[in-house]
Formats: sequence, C-alpha cells, structure tokens
Amino acid sequence: MSEWNSYQIQDFVPFSADVYFRMLERMGETFWPLQLFTLAVGVAALLLALRGKSRVALLLLAPVWVFVGVAFFAQRYANLNWIGQILGWVWIAQAALLVLLAATGRGTAGPVESHSANNITGVLISLVGLLMFPLLAPVLDTSWTQAEVFGLHPDPTGVVSLGIFMIALRGWAQWLTCLVPLLWITLSALTLQVLEAPWWGALFAVAAVAVGSLIGQSRVVLARSGR
Amino acid sequence: MEGKLLRRQFLKMLGAGVVSAWGFPGLASAQSPVLLSKPIPSSGESLPVIGMGTWRTFNVGNDPELLAARTQVLKAFFASGGGLVDSSPMYGSAADTLGFALKQLGIPRTLFSAEKVWSPAGGTTREQVTSLAERWGLKTFDLVQVHNLDDWQEHLAVLRELKASGVIRYLGITTSHGRRHQEFEQVVASTEIDFAQMTYNITHREVEARLLPLAKERGVAVIANRPYDGGSLIKGLKRREKVPAWAAEEFGCRTWADFLLKFIVSHPAVNCAIPATSRVEHMNENMAAGAAPLPDAKTRQKMVAYIESL
Repeated sequence: MSEWNSYQIQDFVPFSADVYFRMLERMGETFWPLQLFTLAVGVAALLLALRGKSRVALLLLAPVWVFVGVAFFAQRYANLNWIGQILGWVWIAQAALLVLLAATGRGTAGPVESHSANNITGVLISLVGLLMFPLLAPVLDTSWTQAEVFGLHPDPTGVVSLGIFMIALRGWAQWLTCLVPLLWITLSALTLQVLEAPWWGALFAVAAVAVGSLIGQSRVVLARSGR
Repeated sequence: MEGKLLRRQFLKMLGAGVVSAWGFPGLASAQSPVLLSKPIPSSGESLPVIGMGTWRTFNVGNDPELLAARTQVLKAFFASGGGLVDSSPMYGSAADTLGFALKQLGIPRTLFSAEKVWSPAGGTTREQVTSLAERWGLKTFDLVQVHNLDDWQEHLAVLRELKASGVIRYLGITTSHGRRHQEFEQVVASTEIDFAQMTYNITHREVEARLLPLAKERGVAVIANRPYDGGSLIKGLKRREKVPAWAAEEFGCRTWADFLLKFIVSHPAVNCAIPATSRVEHMNENMAAGAAPLPDAKTRQKMVAYIESL
C-alpha cells in the first residue's frame, strides 16, 4: 500500500467537533461585546472599498488580521493543533502585507470599476461573511455566544476579507492577498466536513466562486492589454 | 520503589484473574466485570486487554468544562480496572489533559503510561520523554514508543539507554493505517523491543499474515490501535445493524463494542486494544468488552464472515 494513499482528511484533524465548536464559543464569550465593534469595522471596510478608498479599507483590515492571528490561532487553536502557531504567523504576515499595500497604494483599485462583475461578487462574498456566519447561530438553534463573527473568528474574517480584496485590489496584489483567505477557507471547509458541520459546503462554494471571479477578471485584463 | 513493587505484584494478581477494579479504591462498581489481562512477553507482567487511546478525544485545550468531562472518562476507565493509556506528542493537548485528569484523580496503581517520541529526533529523545512526563505529571513512563517509525534507529538507541537506567520500563515502535509494514516487520524481526503497536481490527486484518505471528514468535507484546477504524466502523454498525443473536450465545456479546474488541483481543498475539472515546458510557461499554468469555478461533472466522457479509 502506498503510504500517502492510506491518509484521509480526518487523519489531519486532531480534535473532535465538540471541542472545536466549544473553542469558537469561548472565543465569543471572552471578547463580548467586541463583536459589535468588529462587525462595524467590517461594514466600514466594505463601504470604503466600494467608494474607492481602498488604502483605508486595507488599513482597517490589518489589525483585524493581527487580532485573529494572535487571539485565535496562536493562543487558542495552537492548543489543539500544532499548525496553529504557523497559521498565527501567516495571518500576521498577511496583516503586514495589507499595511504595505495601503502605504504604497500599489495594486489598489479605483472607484471607476465599482459595478464590475468582480466587485458584485466581492460584495456578495463579504455579505455572506458579515451576515451568514452570525445568523447560523439562530438558524441552527444555538446560543448567540456560539455565533461566529467577523473580526473574532477566522472563517467570517477570511470570507469578508476575501470579498473586500476582490473589490479593493487588482492584478498581482489581488491574487497575493486572496491567497491566504482562500487557503484558510479551503482548510476550514475540509475541517468542518470532517466534523460534520452542515455549512462546510458553503465555504467551498465561496472559495470556488471567488477563484472563478478572479480568473475571469484576470482574463478580461489580459484581453484588454492585448496579451 | 515500594510502590512500583506493589504495582507489579498487583498486576501479577490480575494475571491470575483477580478483579482488576481493586486498583482504584472507591471507584470500582460492585457489578464491574472481571477485566481479562495478558502477560507482556518480555517481563511476564500482566496488562489488562482493554486500554485507552487519546487521539482526538483528549485534545481539548484548556477548556475547564471539557477537561472536567475527560477526567470523568479517565475515572471510568480506572474504575473498570483499566491500565494502559496511550498518547502521543502529535495529539495536541492530550498529554496536558491526562496530566490534569491524573492530578484530580491521583495516580492509580493500575496506570500503565504509554507515550511516543516523534520526528525529528535530532538528539531530542530524552528531552521529549522528560517534557511529556512533566505534562502527564509523572516522573517517567512505563512504555515509550517510536511514533510511526520516525527516526527509529536514533530514538531506539536512546530509549534503550533510558530503559537500562530504569527511567522507562519498556520500549516499542508504532505504525497505523497499515503504513510501512515492510520496514516495521524488519524492525520487529531484527531489534530487541518490548511492544509493537499497529492497526488491527475486524475490517483491517493485514497484520494477521506476517506481523502478528512474527511478534508472537519474537516475544513482542502487541497493542492494537484503531479498533473501531477511527470510529466509523462502530458508528456504522450501531446505526444499521443489531448485534447478531448467535454472538450473544457463543461468547456473551451484548454490544458492538463487545463484538469488535473481543475479536481483537482474542487473537493470541494481541495483548491490548486501545479504543478512544470522549464519553463515559462508551468507556463503560469498551471496558465491559474485556471480560470473559472471548471467541475461539472458529467463532472468530464466523465473526469475520458476518462482517464481510454486511
């Protein structure tokens, strides 16, 4: 038997569903009512991106990524999974990238393209992250303390950020910034599938739609430039 | 030292068929079935046939609620006379959870602590053992195994020194999911080890052909991991099927845990199966499966045929 053929997704998830969801719940309990502030930050970042204030939007997102990298990945997730420390550093590095792009303005989009298909997709993805995740709590008949919220939990933070990057950035900067949220969303979807959480498919759908839209936009840009 | 001798004497009593629940005063239920035990070939010390794994189930981080819940699971294990508790540094916070639980419960005389060292070795074997022992709240371990054969030559060389100096009592190697069996076989055949841990359950019986007979011949104790195939086997059976009536008549099988675990520990080369659970009721089911009677060779064949027919 080939060694790699013997591995399954569940071999890479070292915790059970009750432990993971309890960790998400404790995150919400610990920082309440910070969720209200981070949600407002998410909405503000989305509106700023739509108005062409891409650099300010990126600056608003950077501390959110640092917070999730430290408070969620390094301080909590790493207790359950050795990869948590690495993910924490990756999220902090992503925040540094956002600051760099905001400071230089390189790769940022202007307001003229605000009605493009890519932007509409970005808005829809952001709204999924801002609204769907918190609303999963009442839909699944669980406590509000179990709600996953942008700015505290990695799934909604990754999804909202992905949508905003699709609006606020273009070209290589867009692909570069979208890489980490796309990888996390895919990793999280696989984890949720193993844990039998019913919404894992929604995360895969978000990643697929985002990649499709990014590829579509890249092709349009290449066609316009005559390459 | 005296405590160790008392424990050894106690474990020998287990081998003689004495009720193992004596090992944890105040916790044993009057209705606890007698947990069978088998001798470790290299020492003759008896080991209860049902142990406990901790993959996924004991990785709970620092959540007080979940730490308390897992303490109850461990308490149920020892109350039924359980001995071998197996963990690994790759199981996240499992070692810390065991340390928390053992601090609450006290160290039971029956505890047979089994840990692993993993890659990269790089001169860290002693450090890994010391660090893990601290996390468990123990001075040392009964058994340290080389996880998935990672850097096994370097690890085993150091573990031999630790065993010679009395820091650990036994050493071994592990594999799972049927991985690296050829190399595993070579190590078992050519190296002095006390334990070999491998995947063995009623749907994964590859080791019956070569590894189990070899372990028996070489006097190596066998720990069977993934007895429920990661949980999917018993979940599927519980959902779809009733335990066949003939199993109850032939070897007192009442639950699917009985069926699956008795199959494993009735193999002559297997010393111990290590199911993992996060629930007390499942732990009680697992431990009950370690009581007599066990199926004979003919019944074992019938069990395989039955499972394959489903």
